[in-house]
Formats: sequence, structure tokens, C-alpha cells
Amino acid sequence: MQQTLVAGVRESRWRPALFIVLVIVLVLSALLSLAIGRFAVPVSHVAGILASALLPMEPWWTPVEARVVELIRIPRVLMAGLAGAGLAVAGSALQGIFRNPLVGPQIIGVSSGAAFGGALAILLSESRYLLIGLAFACGMLAMVIVYSISRQQGRASILMLVLAGIVTSAFFSALVSVTKFVADPDDKLPAIVFWLMGSFASASYEKVWLIAVPVIIGSAVIYLMRFQINVLSLGDEEAHALGVKVERTRWIALTAIALISSAVVAAAGVIGWVGLVIPHFARMLTGPDHKVLIPAAMLIGASYLIHVDNVARTAIAAEIPVGIITALIGAPIFGLLLRRTANKGWTSE
Amino acid sequence: MIDVQDLGFRYGENRVFRDVSFSLAAGKIAAILGPNGRGKTTLLKSVVGLLKPDTGTASLGGRLGYVAQRAEIAFAYKVIDIVVMGRAAHVGMFRAPGPKDYQHARNALSLLGLSGFAEQHFNRLSGGERQLVMIARALASECQVLILDEPASALDFRNQDLVLSTLRRLAEDLGLAILMTTHFPQHAAHIADYALLLQSADDAQWGSSEEMLSEEKLELLFGLPVEKVQVQRGDKTHSGILPLFS
Amino acid sequence: MKTISLAKLLLLAITGTVVSGTNADPITFTDQRDRIVTLDSEAARVVTIPIPAASMFMSVDGGTEKLVGMHPLSKTAIKDQILETFYPDAMSIPSDIAGPGFNFSPNVEALLSLEPDLVFQWGHLNDDIIDPLLNAGLNVALIKIGQEAFTRRWLTMMGAVTGNEEKAAKMISWRDEVQAEIKAETDKIPAAEKPRVLYFMNYLSKLRVAGGKSYNNFYINLAGGQNAASELGMFAEVGPEQVIAWDPEVILLNGFEKKLSPKDVYDNPLFADLSAVKNRRVYKMPLGGYRWDPPNQESPLTWLWLSMVLHPERFDWDLPRRMDENYKTMYGQGVSADNVKKILRFSMNKDAANYEIFSPDKQ
Repeated sequence: MQQTLVAGVRESRWRPALFIVLVIVLVLSALLSLAIGRFAVPVSHVAGILASALLPMEPWWTPVEARVVELIRIPRVLMAGLAGAGLAVAGSALQGIFRNPLVGPQIIGVSSGAAFGGALAILLSESRYLLIGLAFACGMLAMVIVYSISRQQGRASILMLVLAGIVTSAFFSALVSVTKFVADPDDKLPAIVFWLMGSFASASYEKVWLIAVPVIIGSAVIYLMRFQINVLSLGDEEAHALGVKVERTRWIALTAIALISSAVVAAAGVIGWVGLVIPHFARMLTGPDHKVLIPAAMLIGASYLIHVDNVARTAIAAEIPVGIITALIGAPIFGLLLRRTANKGWTSE
Repeated sequence: MIDVQDLGFRYGENRVFRDVSFSLAAGKIAAILGPNGRGKTTLLKSVVGLLKPDTGTASLGGRLGYVAQRAEIAFAYKVIDIVVMGRAAHVGMFRAPGPKDYQHARNALSLLGLSGFAEQHFNRLSGGERQLVMIARALASECQVLILDEPASALDFRNQDLVLSTLRRLAEDLGLAILMTTHFPQHAAHIADYALLLQSADDAQWGSSEEMLSEEKLELLFGLPVEKVQVQRGDKTHSGILPLFS
Repeated sequence: MKTISLAKLLLLAITGTVVSGTNADPITFTDQRDRIVTLDSEAARVVTIPIPAASMFMSVDGGTEKLVGMHPLSKTAIKDQILETFYPDAMSIPSDIAGPGFNFSPNVEALLSLEPDLVFQWGHLNDDIIDPLLNAGLNVALIKIGQEAFTRRWLTMMGAVTGNEEKAAKMISWRDEVQAEIKAETDKIPAAEKPRVLYFMNYLSKLRVAGGKSYNNFYINLAGGQNAASELGMFAEVGPEQVIAWDPEVILLNGFEKKLSPKDVYDNPLFADLSAVKNRRVYKMPLGGYRWDPPNQESPLTWLWLSMVLHPERFDWDLPRRMDENYKTMYGQGVSADNVKKILRFSMNKDAANYEIFSPDKQ
């Protein structure tokens, strides 16, 4: 017992160091990203361009280089970082709420619902705001459907949740196909198809705002609810007996999760596996307490997606869809997690 | 502190119990006894409010602390994290527990002699320790009524003794009204002031422990003859209820 | 393989019995999946499912009488364009045989009700869009797209089945002549003087460009340019930074995105420093009897147009006259100066560098 006490003390000393490391990693990742790309900009020029935003100075770089860094790379890095952070926070909260480390925004139906909402919005108009609004509404709707199918006598088993997610995702995928079927093939159809594939290639400051506002609001709500999410992760009965208004609390959190996920889908398409794998990885570093898990997952998710996008935009001349890379990395990790949990059960981390 | 009137419950057409009435004062312990599947947990949940009874009312005269039967959690929380969750009702929707809440949690742990476990992982504790942590969590919520589902049934002898004597101490020192289920009459006889026997769906009997835990009533309840025995060890008399296995 | 040989046998059996009753000889040819197709006589009722096949068929046959069905998107490509002016009847040809959108699964019952002698269908997609036609006992010719040689085979086949072998041969030799004519000049151009050209297959929703294996790559090279994106395969999405890194000197915009115009590129702050933007050399691809960017019956005009766009100082083809002549050959009608301006998209391209060289009014 003496030993574990010491270990406990060590852990709380280690924690600030962990966050300092994660912040440094994120800042370095972002800076690295600004310095690499298909168009060669020397690092000293990138540094100058960034510094000139703060101090007036005589440029030693070309206007093209400034444009590439300011108009292409900065919004792209911001978008990738925000999307990664948002998905990781949403995934952490979902896993807590459903008491299961193997749940992600995709499994719960939000992504496919948001995909349909977005496709429908493209069909109806060109407004980005309608796009994010419908993506949110349909993402929320899909989540309500998954939730009500999977819930029996007040309990949602993980198997029922996954099955309900498959059913609901299949349904909304079919609806997406319907929108493609009726879309004008000259302009609407390619717009829908490309939007669904998802990419940060068309990053702009307008899109950064589009994703930043919902991700920041949603993440703030979830962080404020970190303690309630802890309690919910014990199970509905216990949470209820502890005096938590279970349904209300859960729905506020789920709404925040849907807001984040649908904003990411609206701005960058469906990017799978980040919300599933990153929270799990973060939990291995911080333990399950959402007070530390949520900020850690946020920082790791942002760095992770920035690096994934670095590969997507620089590996070859063509853009590699981000979703392909996250799936290539995420699916095998998920498989390992499944095996591990099948061997040991949820409870023995 | 606990006041139950004409409580009845059924799943669809299947009646589980009916006309259950009793009241329990502060500082007293009551045990609900019955064989497996008779509806002890259902009755407990109806009193707690987790299940909605079809007749009657159950009112609690103070803050409730509830300790469920299953003491496993999905995530590897530390003991202090678990115990501070007892403060959920005191902490708002968008707030986290403050220093005062952690103080309550630490006090509860020290009251149960668990101070050294605060930073340990809950799932690495023994069954008895887990049960005590759950009780500590209830105490952290500043409860006046403590309701427990089979708190000692799955434990070894030493841990049974630890949990039962702790409950007795809490009733006496803190004046908690404690309601628990058990299928071991021995446990009821050891600490309970009152007992509720779920003889059948239509017959629930309430009374003092001495009156309820007679050999006749217990034989009727469990369908097996029992014999009360007394053992003198030093200057202390231990009483036991011995099942006469076939 | 089995269905094909079976169908072949069936066809042979049918032709064997019917041939004596008709006054024409049976027609036998190999389609682009190397199937032998046999018709008992010239086709009088033809259906085209591939989108560009409808207008090509009209050009080979010089009219619409034998075309009894086409894809709905073939009709969209004709509507409001020069072919509708030439052949207003085209708008009443049934188009409920496939679609909507880029869906090529045939509606077999609608097709059978048209009683076609021959159906043109894509051969490079999947067999699910072919089998229903064969199972219904229809004569099917399978075609592919993407290379100059493929397009010539379309012309040959369409000529063969409609008794227009001579005209088809003429259209093919026109392609040969123009190709040789341009190549003779562009071969002389040193590599350093060949501008970097980038063709955007999509621009509005994503940036997708034509790579080294595309048909666009073929005619960019022919016209004396070099494809900036030749390192890519067919069509691929690229980021704006890659476009800046390539720094194309000429940008070609596809004819598929109706709303896309050079202004979209000029106004894009990301691309302000591109050579093509600074020199105002962004061009919307013309749209005549069909869109000029994919392979089609008017491709030689595309090549002539592009060679002048790329090398205005070297080439001085009289494009309006050539259009007029060849439209007369293909469609039986010439084009007015206004038609030429519309086809060459003067409204979108008029501010582009040197575009006045194409003006039909300059003489």
C-alpha cells in the first residue's frame, strides 16, 4: 500500500509535465506543417512570414511564399488541428457516456447522419450555413435513432449499440445515395461526391471559422461537464442514485458531441477512426478521469490529424484523402483493442 | 427516516410483491430477506426510486446513499475519483468538485479506514474493499439513509465481518438509517434491528429481528430446516443460524 | 465469356435464317470488347447509352432519324447548344432508357419498346450494365473511352452499322490530317518553349486535374504544350499549393461545370501569382456538337484551337472557316459568326490573352 501511495504522488507530479509535452508537441507539429508542402518555401522564409504578422519588417521572402503560408497552409493546419481536437473530445465524451472504450462518433451514427444532412444541403442550396445546420440536425437525428433502438429497459449494451449504429448508418447511407441519384450530374453530383470524400485541400479562413465555433463551443460544454461525464461512466443506475439527472445530462453532452462531429463533417467530410482511437490512446496516458482525459485527447487529436494531413498533402502530387490514412492507421489499432478487451474484458485496463 | 406504505410491484402480469409497509428510524438497520429471485433487489429499487412501483409510496426522510450489488466499473478510476463522485448531487451540471468536495471524500475514506487507498485503482481492490469504497462514496454524499443491495453476500468471512461491523458502526455513530438485502439470515441476525421476510409475492412480513428470524419462519422462507446455535468463546456469546442441508 | 459466345451463336443463328429475306448483306464487326457483332442488315433504329455516343452518332449519320433512344445526359449536352439548332428533333428522342445521373444501367423494358436494331453501351465499366441487354436478346456494341484510337473505332463502327463507312472514313482521315498538320509544326518547337498546361477536370468543389495517362495529356502534347500534372495518372485531386508549385502557364477549364469560368480562377487570391493568371491565359474549353475536352467527333477542332491558344505566334489556322466546313460535312449545316462565338465561349474567354485571334469578325 505504501508503494501505491508513492505511485499516486508520482502520477500527479508527472501530469503537468505530460501536458507541457503535449502542448510542445502540438506547437512543433503546427510549425513543422507550416514549413512543409509541395511548394518549396525555405524555413527561414516561413519564420519571417509568421514573424511579420507580429512585427513590421522588410520581407526577405516572395509574395507567393507569403500567400502559400498565409492563405493555404495556416488555414489548413488550423482546420486539421481543430478537426482532430474536436473528434478526439467528442470520442472521449461518447466513450465515457456509454461506458465503453470502443465507441466513436461513427459507431453512434452521427457521422452518417451528418453526411446525409450535408448532401441534402448541397442539393438544396449553396449556403455553408445550411450545410452545417442540416448536418447537425441529421447527425443528431441519427444519434437519437441509434440510441432509441439500442436501449432496452433502460440499458444499452455495447452489442445493441453497435448493431443499431450499423442499421442506422446503412439507412442514412442509403439516403445519401438517394441525394446522389437525384443530383444534377453537372454540378451538384460532383459537389456531393467530393464533399463526402472529405479533405482539407479546400481549407480557407471561412471554413476555419465554420469548424472553430462549433468545436470550441461543443468542447467547452463537454469540458465543463467533465465531472458529470465521470459519474455517467459508472452506469445509469449509479448516476441516478448519486443524484444526477441522467437523461438530461446525457442529452446535453450528446448534443455537444453531435455539434462537434457534424461541424467537422460539414467542413472536412467524414473522417473516421480519430474519435475512436485517440481517446483510447489518451486514456492510457492519463487514466479515465475526464478532467485530464479531455484536454489530453484534444491536444493529441490535434497533433495527430495535423500529421495525417501532412502526409495527405505532401506524400505525392495528388491529394490522398485524409479518411483513407486515418482508416489505415485506425482500423488495425481498433482490431488490437477489440482483441485486448475480448481477452481481458472492459474492466481491467 | 424510511417510510414505506402499501408498496407493490409487478412486471407485466407477474406480481413481485404487494402491500409492503414498514418504517425505519434513524440509527436503525433493517434487512430484507428472501431466497434468490424472490424480488429483494426489485423491492430495494422501488424504495430507492430506480423502479416505479405500481401501488403505494416510499418516502425517504433524508438524503439517500445507494450501494448497488455490482461493484465493477468500466474505466480504471482511482478510489478518490470514485468517492468524490458521491458529491454529484452537490456539484452543478457544469461544475467540477472543489476542495470542499474532496475534503468530504477524504473524510469518508478515513472514516472507513481507507485513507491509504485513495490513489489506488478501484478495480485492483478486493471485493470487501470495493464494497467499503462504495459505502464511502455514499457517505461522501452526506446521506442520512443508506440502502445497500447484498453488501456482504459475495465476500469471504473476514470481509463479511468488516462490512457488517462497519455498517453497524455507521448506524450507531452517524445515526444512519440502513436498509439492506441479504440471503444470509446470519447477517441479518448479526446487525439488523428489523427484518422483512419476502415469503411470497403476496406475503411480506415485517418485524423485529428476534421475532422474524425464528427457525419456523426461516424454514418456511428458504424451504430448508435451520437451527439456531450459540457458541461461547471467552466472555462473548456468538449466535448462528445453521442450515440443515439434506 | 460464356454469355458473349452464347450471344454470338444466337446472333449467327438469327442472321442465318433472316439473311435471305432482306435485300442488304449482313454486317459483321468486332466491338471494343472483341466481341463479334452481326446485324442482319443496316441498323435503322439505334440506341446509345454512353453519353458522348449520341452526338457522335448524329454526326456520322448526319441526322437524328436512326437514333431512337439516348441517355438523358446526352440530351442535356445537346440542349441549348449548336446541335439543338441543327437538329431540333433530337429533343423529342426518348431518353428514359437509363439514368438518372451517371447511371448506365439500362431500363430494358423501355429499351425493348423502342425496338432497336443495335444498342451502344459502355464496355469498360461493369458487366451488370451489359448482361440485361444481352439477356433481352438485343444486339449490343460495347465501346470504351479515353484514347484517340478508341474514338476512331467508334466512328468506324457507327459508320459500318448505318452504311456511312465512307463518311466515317473521311472523319477519321480528317483526324489524321489535322493531327499530322499540327504535329509537323509542334515537333519543331523546342521543349523549353512548350508552355506548362494544367487542365482542371473539376474546379468548383474540388481541384481535380488531368494526369499523364489522360486523353487531355495527349492533345496538350499534340498542340505543343506540356502537361504540368503529367506525373499523375488519369484524374486526381490536388491541393492549391501543388498547383502553385507547378505554376502552369496556361490553364484549361472543363466544359462540364456549367458555372465555372476563368473569372473564378482570376478572382481566387490563392492563384494570384500563377503565370497563367498574371498573363490572363485561363481558358474555358469550348462546347460545340459536344464538349471539346473529352474525345469526340470534333476533336481536331479542339487540337487546332488549343495549338493557337498555346502558340498564338506560330499558328494561324482559320478556325471559324474550318468549323464551318467540317460542321457542314458532319452535320450538313454550317455555323454563323454568332454560333462560332458561342461555341468558343467568347462571353467567358473574351478577356483572355490573344483570344481575338479566334474572332470570326476579324476578316
